[in-house]
This record gives sequence, structure tokens and C-alpha cells, in this order.
Amino acid sequence: MKIGIEIHQRLDTKKLFCDCTSDISEDEIPKITVQRRLHPVLSELGEIDAASQVESSKDRVFEYQVFNSNNCLVETDEEPPHMLNDEALKIVLQIALQFHATIVDEVHIMRKMVIDGSNTSGFQRTSIIAMNGHLDSSKGTIGIPLIALEEESAGIVSNSESKATYRLDRLGVPLIEINTTPDIKDGAHLTEVAEKIGMILRTTAKVARGLGTIRQDVNISTEGGARVEIKGAQDLKMLATYVENEVHRQTELIKILAELRNRKAIPIQFNAQDVTVVFKNTHANLLSQGIRTGSIILAQKFPGHKGILGTEIQKGKRYGSELSEYAKRAGVKGIIHSDEDMAKYYISGEEEDRIRKFLEMEKDDAFVLIIAPQTQAERAMHHAIERANMNYVPEETRRANPDGSSTYMRPLPGRARLYPETDVPPIPITKDLLSSIEKSESLDEKKSRLEKLLNKEMAGRMIKSRNLHLFDKLVSEGADPMLVATTLEDTIVSLRREEFEFTDLEKTLTEMFAEYKKDSFVKAAIPDVLKGMAKGARVEAVLKVFRLQKITGPALEKLVAEHNYDMKTIMQKCRLQVDAAEVDRIIKKRDSSYA
Amino acid sequence: MYSSKITKEINEKKISIGDRIRVRTVTGEFEGLLMPRPSSGDPNLIVLKLDSGYNTGLKPESIELVAKAELKKSNDGGDSESKEGIAILGCGGTIASKIEYKTGAVFPSISPKELRMIFPALKNWSIHSKQIFSLLSEDMNSHHWKLLADSVEAEIKDGSEGVVVMHGTDTMTYTSSVLGFMLQQLPVPVVFVGSQRSSDRPSSENEMNMLNSVFAASQDLGEVTVCMHASTNDDFCYLHRGNRVRKMHTSSRDAFRSIDSSPLFAVDYRTKKFDKLSDFMPRNNHGLIAKKSINDNVALIYSHPNMKPEFFRKLSDYDGVVLIGTGLGHVAANAFNDKSVNSVLKPIEELVQSGIPVVMSSQCISGRICMRVYTTGRLLMEAGVIGDGADWTPETAYTKLCWVLGQTKDMKEVKKLMMTNIAGEISTRSNLEGY
Repeated sequence: MKIGIEIHQRLDTKKLFCDCTSDISEDEIPKITVQRRLHPVLSELGEIDAASQVESSKDRVFEYQVFNSNNCLVETDEEPPHMLNDEALKIVLQIALQFHATIVDEVHIMRKMVIDGSNTSGFQRTSIIAMNGHLDSSKGTIGIPLIALEEESAGIVSNSESKATYRLDRLGVPLIEINTTPDIKDGAHLTEVAEKIGMILRTTAKVARGLGTIRQDVNISTEGGARVEIKGAQDLKMLATYVENEVHRQTELIKILAELRNRKAIPIQFNAQDVTVVFKNTHANLLSQGIRTGSIILAQKFPGHKGILGTEIQKGKRYGSELSEYAKRAGVKGIIHSDEDMAKYYISGEEEDRIRKFLEMEKDDAFVLIIAPQTQAERAMHHAIERANMNYVPEETRRANPDGSSTYMRPLPGRARLYPETDVPPIPITKDLLSSIEKSESLDEKKSRLEKLLNKEMAGRMIKSRNLHLFDKLVSEGADPMLVATTLEDTIVSLRREEFEFTDLEKTLTEMFAEYKKDSFVKAAIPDVLKGMAKGARVEAVLKVFRLQKITGPALEKLVAEHNYDMKTIMQKCRLQVDAAEVDRIIKKRDSSYA
Repeated sequence: MYSSKITKEINEKKISIGDRIRVRTVTGEFEGLLMPRPSSGDPNLIVLKLDSGYNTGLKPESIELVAKAELKKSNDGGDSESKEGIAILGCGGTIASKIEYKTGAVFPSISPKELRMIFPALKNWSIHSKQIFSLLSEDMNSHHWKLLADSVEAEIKDGSEGVVVMHGTDTMTYTSSVLGFMLQQLPVPVVFVGSQRSSDRPSSENEMNMLNSVFAASQDLGEVTVCMHASTNDDFCYLHRGNRVRKMHTSSRDAFRSIDSSPLFAVDYRTKKFDKLSDFMPRNNHGLIAKKSINDNVALIYSHPNMKPEFFRKLSDYDGVVLIGTGLGHVAANAFNDKSVNSVLKPIEELVQSGIPVVMSSQCISGRICMRVYTTGRLLMEAGVIGDGADWTPETAYTKLCWVLGQTKDMKEVKKLMMTNIAGEISTRSNLEGY
């Protein structure tokens, strides 16, 4: 078994080929929609990519939702791309250094043809920035053969036979892609490697944070099986499960193939029959409804497939699902096969017998039914037979499902899918550019620095924190590291729980710590100061309005005297305005003057 | 092109573009296919296509041949020429071109077989095709207008049912407007078509524009027209009158807009929609009139503040001048006799008196030339400037003057012809829907 991983992480810059912001507000309502179609084109090698061909066989309309704050004519494919975002390039160069990778001498932007509609142009722009890097892990060194900079695709909103709808807000956000060699040993090792790459990205560079900003694609190939890419895993904890399930799927497929060869069950000839007449008075709702709306019931004999279509190959998914997922390329909802429980569809035993007779079936044979208008049903049946006739485990791109299983998307793309982006000239990586890239602290260096600044527990929390950049910034401006860390990781967290919102946390904390440095309020007042600032007020105003200014000097002496030099009462009443140490000094001073 | 150093090394090692090579750099060894050098960037860097499909630029220490490229069978048309159905004429542009990356050259795809490969739905029509020339439209001139007019005339005489002209978009409307003067009383539609997105993109609108233009060319219409996207959507096209249309956006699909008029038709081949939006000339059976003489010694001058009278004096080398004036049709004529103003009235007057016609159009693009309203206009009319009452675009005023000066040198005749509506370029009513 060979396992490799591809990690895609969004960068925290403007978009890669235009000046739109990458900050996406989920609440914005699209005011404009655009309708387009796509068709495959020849690559520079004069080939049409298999994956693109499959996607194009669906004659579909793509609807794009346009968002004013995140979209311009570039995302709508109405204006040529601008020059590559310089900041994004620098971030990727910085990351490449962390993986000890060889940086290319010149960046060539490529078009990766994707005609499922997820890119308005019909391709995703991508470019190699570095190659031949490596990463240490508990089970040996893992190679990083490729570090690329590419643009994010559009987000899918809905998908049907004739139309797919996408939102364009995230289209064009810069992504760094990091690939490993297939040297990962097992599921647990995969999780470790993914986690480590993710942490290096977050701790050393300006990458986007939050849900959906990082995605993992897992490449798995097994002995006697095939290379399969499982796309779009968002949850690190699930990675090992995807590996286990895929290995299981391929093992089962290999067994099925052996049995099919044994039974001489493949290849199957297309010989589908229109059996609509069998279901004239059926109680099977799915079928009768289809017939009413112009569909036919198309049936095909699958010789020697009895029991095989029903063999479970993934949790909750049977071999029949493999055929069904290919058939869906024709836009049908799926297939019904004879290893399923017909009662589930309200197909009667009598109807089932009639189909068997109609198709002249023997004991070991199975059948497949497709409900759709004639040409579509026939196309779908051809796809199902095409899959059934593969006497090998096919190389595929599959979608990661949240339950750990995966669904067929398209064949693995080949090199014909990539051709040059002629609208953006190649970018030389000059010595000047490289020397302007500061090698940021490595993960290990960062860890040991934090351990010097904080206690071990807090250092461990901080290195994983999404606020690490802000921590570094505030500390570099002179704030106390431990105070910054507890404010970020405890105070802010609990205030947020109380539903205090900080729209610009960086600005708020910079202002607050600058004021704190002037000694104008005490540490104990920080939560209250922040509560006031959460409402949008400036720190000075908050101190004044909420009476949080620190009492010190003669005023404090007077206050202490008024409370009979009793520490406990003073702290009870004025905890948010006085510094206990100062009060203590005043009390001690009086005591000593008595002595 | 690669630098002479690299060229020498690959020649010595008998390496050609497309071959599999191994490149050693300071940092490592890389294998892949040798790609041609784009015109930009450092010619000392090798462009290598890695097995992943990515291209990358590398500074080579040494280059080594691994394997020669397999030769592919070329796919050039070669199907028999028929003269039936719709003629598709190629003038260049990105609508149906392919890039041969091994050499970096752009080839027009023009044989019916190639066109059917790019546009599979063309199988529904009987077509034949011919490449007249292949140019970026900004490089075209009156010589090419003439070549095209000859070809269209020949196609019509050979019995083509309609003519589609594939043309770059930049100067398409110059060509489409002049062709309507050169070829009159058209018995078939002549439809110009192009694409704003190049044909090497899956999102190119070339397919929809092309199929709609072939569909339009089979309809009952006897005009030179332009068929381009109606909106940013891939839903239907507008068929514009060739001398009423203008490219109004540098890059968007719906860049072509009819000026001062509605488009002639809304076209959708998928639904067989051919909806009339304004009056048009049907196929004309009275015999094609070909008047193909052109005088291209005509200047088109955009008026702007700070213009100098001397500049206008230099225009005496031309046989005609079209001004793109401001507003209703103005240039600095110093109507108030102010000392601080440099008037260009006098040199314009001199041009007209020396027999060089001066024609007015407006940089407002939309609206009619009305030189009677302000003193400036009246002064220009007195000086002999032609155009009062016309609602032509600057480009059409320009191509019309080129054509008129090809027909006559008589100043009176020039003025008369300029102000006579020949191909729908001047209308007498400004329709409210036109703007």
C-alpha cells in the first residue's frame, strides 16, 4: 500500500489574479447571477484529457452567483487575469524554505482544465513554486515533491441533471498546495504528517484560518489495485478512516474481479430492453411516477452477477453503487439492481419474475433497471456496463464523504489537463526576490522560543492557537507574554462565550495593551475594559465611563487612609482600580512610620 | 525563442521541442518534455513540462536527451470542397484558431472538418469554408477589406446561401461597416462573428457565437451584420447592423452594442429563435451591386482640449478627414473671439477649400450630429464641415468617407453621397430604444 497526501491551504491575502478581497461574508446576498456553458479544448500536446471528456458529456448550464464585495470581472471570466499576487507568491516561497525545497527559477502559470463548472474559465490557474522538499516524521523522512500556488474554485450551491449553481465569492482565493511522496506508512502516520504540515503552515506563514480553509486529498494505491485520489477531506481525524475504507474497497473489488473472471461474467454486451410495459399497473411509486413524466424503464441482464452487485465493498455501499455512480454521469438518479430488496421499491414478486423472463435470465444472472427518458437511460446503462466491464480496479478521483466512505467523481486527470496560461507571463524568481524573503522561524524554533516566554502548558496551547500571529505581534510591541497569552486564550474566549463580539481583535488588543503599558489601569480590570471596547468604544472612553482608571499616588494614599489601612476592605471595594502591591506598600509605610 | 547558448546546445544534442530531456541544475535533476520558450521571460531558462503536466522554468547546467518525441499524425482537413450551403470565411481572430505549442505558432482552424471538430453542432448545416488571410484585426487595412469583399462577392456568385466571416473583434466593426458600402443589394446575409475569450479556453463563447451566426446566415436577411453575445450569459446573441455596432468594452462577452438603434435580431440556434427587434432589409433579388473602390488616405481625428492649429495644417497630406468632435459635433473654433483660445477653425476651412472633405462625428458615440445649435457648429458648417443631422458612429463616418472618396473626387458629390443613407448608417428618426 502506498499513501500520499495533498494539502490545500488558503492564504490570507487578496485574490491571486485580481484585487478582490478574500474575506468572505457568508451573509451577503448575491445580486447578480450569470449563466454559462463549458466545452473541453485540446491541450498543448494536442490531447483531450479523459477527466475533462467525462465532465463534458453532461450538457449542462452553470449558474454563477456574483457577490459585489468579493467579485469583479476577473472571476466572472469577463476580464483577463491581473498579474499574480506578489504577497501570495512570497508566502509560498517562505513556506517552501520551511520544507527545504528547491525553488524554481521561473514560475509558469498553467491552466488546469476543470469543466465541472467550478471555475468560470473552465480551468484552474496553478503553478509550481518549489520541488524536492522534505519533512521529518516519526516514521522516517517524507518527500515533498511539489509545492504549488493555485486559485480556489467556486463553491457549489446546488447540482442537478441540467444545471449546477456555484457561488463565486471564494473563486480566486490563493491556495498553497503541498504534495507528499507516497511514503506514508499507515492511517495514523497519515494523520501525523497532515497535522505537522498544517501546523507548519499556520505557525510560519500568513495563511487563512477557520473552517474550510484547509483541505486534504489522500492518494492511496494498493498492491493489485489502483491509485485513487480521495478529495476534500476536511476533518483530520477522519483521514485514517478514509485509508482503511479505501483499502477495504480495493481488496473487495479485487476479490469480486476474481469471482467474475471465474464465472466468465465479463465482458457484458449492451442489450438493454424497454420493460416499461411490465410496470403498467405497478405500485412502485418511483417507477410509476417516472413513467407518467415520460421516462421509460430500461432493463439489462448482467450475466453471472447474482450476489455480486449486492456485495458490500464500503460501509453501507455495495458493488452496485460503483455501477450506479458511473450511471449518474448521464444525469440519472441511480440504478435499481436485482441484489437489492425489491420490496423496498414496492416492486412485486410477479413484476420481478416478468423482468427475469423478459431478459431470459438464468439462475446466476442479475439485472439492472434505470428509470429515465430513453436516450438518457440508454446512456446511463452504457456507463454502468462500462464500469462493470473494467477487469481491473479503475484509477479514480473520489469525493470524501463525511461518513468515511467515498463516491466516484471522475477518472484521474492526466498531464493533458494542464496547458499554459498565456495571459500571465512567466515570473522569474530573482535573487532580489529571494533575498527579500525572510526565512521565518521553523516550527521547532518557535516551540522552544515560546517555552522560554511562557510556561510549558501555555506554550503548548499557544503553538496550536489561531492567535499565534497576534501573540507575536503584541509581545513584540512590549506586552507581557504570559498576560497576552492568558488574555488571548482565556479572557477573550470566555468573553466571546458571553457573546461579546470583537470585529477587529488585533486593533482592540493593540490599543488596550498600549494603554496598559502607560499604567492607566490594572490587570484585574482587563476583562471589564475589553467588555467596554467590544461595544466599539475607545479605551480612554471605556476607562472614564466605567470608572476603571487606576488610582495611584496621593489619591490612593487618601483612599487607603479612608479605609483604615485595611487591605481586605480596599480590595473588596476597589479591586478593579488599585494595584494590591501599591496598597500593600502604603500600608507597610504607615506601619513602619509607627514603629 | 531560447538564447543562442541553449539553442546551440540543443541543436548539438539533436534535441527538438517536444522531446523528453533531463535537465541538471545547481540544485537537482529534472526530467520532462522540452517546451517552446514564450516570448516573455528569460531566454536562458529551459521550459520543462514535468510528468505532472506542470511547466516550470529552470536554469540548466546541462541538458541531456532522454527520448525523441513521438510524431503525431497531423489533423489537417483535406475534405472535398463543396460550394453549397453557408460559406465560412476566415480572416483570423481567436474564434477558431489553435496554438501549435511545439512551435508556438497560431494556426487558423478552417477546414470544414476542423470547424466541425471545434463546433460539433455545425453538423446540422451544410457548410464550406475558406481562409482568406489570418491576421490580428488591429493589423488589417483597406487591402484586406478589398480581399474580403472580393471573396464575399465570389461566394455570392457561386450560390452560397449565406456568408459567415470569422474576424478578430478589435476592428471588426470597421470591416463590417465598410463591407456594407462595398457590396449593396445583398441577396444573402453576411454575418461577422468573433469571440472575446480565445478558443483555447473551455469558457470561450466562440461556440455559441459561431453557431448563432451560421443560423443567422441561413435566414431571410440581406445585410452585413455582426453576431455576438447579447449579455454576459451564454444564452443568446444579438445580430447587429454592421455599420451601427461598436465594441464598447475591452474584454467582456457583450462588448458589441448597437448604437442609436436596437439590434436587428435576437438569435438562438438552440431554440430556433430569430426574433426581429428592428426593421431590416430582406434578401435582395435585384442583383448585387459591387462598388469596391476605396481611398484609404483618410484621417480619423479625436478632438481634445489643447489641440494646435498647426496639427490641422499637417492634415493637408490626406484626401479626407473625419473629426470625432465633442458634444453635438464641435471642435475649438473660438466662437467668443477670446485671446486665450487657439482656434482650429481657420485650418479646417483651409482644408475644405483645398478640396479635402472634413466630416463630423461625435465622441459622445450615441446621438445625432447637430451643428446648428451652437455658434461653434454653425461656424464649422460655414467652413464646409459635412455631417449635420447624421447619427453615425465615428468608425462608420470614417469607412464611409474612405468608400465615398473611392467613388468620386467631386466635392459636391462627396457631400451628397456622405449624407445619403446607403446601408442603414444614417437614420432620420432617433428611436427612444436606441440608447
